[in-house]
Amino acid sequence: MTGPADDLIRRLAADAAPVRRLPPPLRRMLWWALLCAPYVAVTVWIMPPLPDLADKLTRMQFAMQQGAALLTAIAAAYAAFVAVVPGRARWPLLLPLLPLAVWLGSLGKGCLDEWRLGLTAWYLDLECLPKIVYIGLLPAIVMVIMLQRGAPLWPRASMLLGGLAAAALGNFGLRLFHPHDASLMVLVWQVGSVALLTLIAGWAGPRLLSWQAKGVSP
Amino acid sequence: MESLKDQANDRGQRLGDLMAAAQDGDAAAYATLLAELLPLLRVAVRRQRSFLQAADIEDIVQETLISLHAVRATYDPTRPFLPWAAAILRHRMADGARKYARRAANEVAVEFLPETFDGDAANMLGESYGDPEALRQGMARLPEGQRQAIEMLKLKEMSLKEASAASGQSVGALKVAVHRGVKALRALMGDRS
Repeated sequence: MTGPADDLIRRLAADAAPVRRLPPPLRRMLWWALLCAPYVAVTVWIMPPLPDLADKLTRMQFAMQQGAALLTAIAAAYAAFVAVVPGRARWPLLLPLLPLAVWLGSLGKGCLDEWRLGLTAWYLDLECLPKIVYIGLLPAIVMVIMLQRGAPLWPRASMLLGGLAAAALGNFGLRLFHPHDASLMVLVWQVGSVALLTLIAGWAGPRLLSWQAKGVSP
Repeated sequence: MESLKDQANDRGQRLGDLMAAAQDGDAAAYATLLAELLPLLRVAVRRQRSFLQAADIEDIVQETLISLHAVRATYDPTRPFLPWAAAILRHRMADGARKYARRAANEVAVEFLPETFDGDAANMLGESYGDPEALRQGMARLPEGQRQAIEMLKLKEMSLKEASAASGQSVGALKVAVHRGVKALRALMGDRS
């Protein structure tokens, strides 16, 4: 063996230190959720949670929206972990769309109901964005670190999904202590913040997940 | 007789086993794996990028080997090896195509650069004015207004505003005079040649 490719193979083989195998995406998603759950619980407890939270959780619409937000976070995290494993089917990347559709659909229905009853509320609520960032910060950091262990095949899509997971989890936490819950307000200010953070994460994707960071030319 | 599909499955299984051993630090298994993978990668790139030159194909193959090495922890031995390696190759080929397009967009391909003394292309400036005597004679035959406009705007490189102030003519009149003068000069010099 004498060619440049053969030299490369010799060098790579000489560098074949044992590696820790990446667990399957489902297990990684569970790890992420387990790491983030206590943080979200503590931040909500510090805020503190809404006094009528127990009552709210019995209301169908609130429970459905919170359930859909949580499922969006979980499905997006799973999809993000799938996206960084070569050779996996791509359909799981679309999984978060299901709970996301339920979430948005429920909020849209809430908007219509409030409009019919003349209860539509509209005012500026700029507190949502920093609060979602605050709750979603640790989940986002953990997500980036975990995604960086994978292969940067689709950096934008991977980070977009990872960002959606963190922001949706942030919004789930926010609604447990944030008193403003008129559907239009939630849709515009909270889901708007989630969308903005998701897009920012997608934009940062190629900077955070790259072949270059793994010592390979871009 | 063993079918082609069975052969591919056997090969995939064997490569997968080698990769699992490589993940555990077995350098010999890793060298065998990469050596067996090398011709497969070359064939795959050549088939899908037949328009590329041999050096570019080799670049993609080597980039793929390095990428595969960098993300070898992502291989799951319970899953088939070949789709895993093929996905990395596909992405590196796409990256290679983007790099190739960027390079092509920013590069001017020349066979050789003209030398200053011998090359015709390098002596264009010196010859572009043609015959200075013919130019002088042509200028002398132009009407006064046109000659003055060309002298000020073309030879002395004055701005329209400066030429207007110096000659007392309007900017519009100067524009018309210089346009007509250049046209007449071209005709006069064309006649001579």
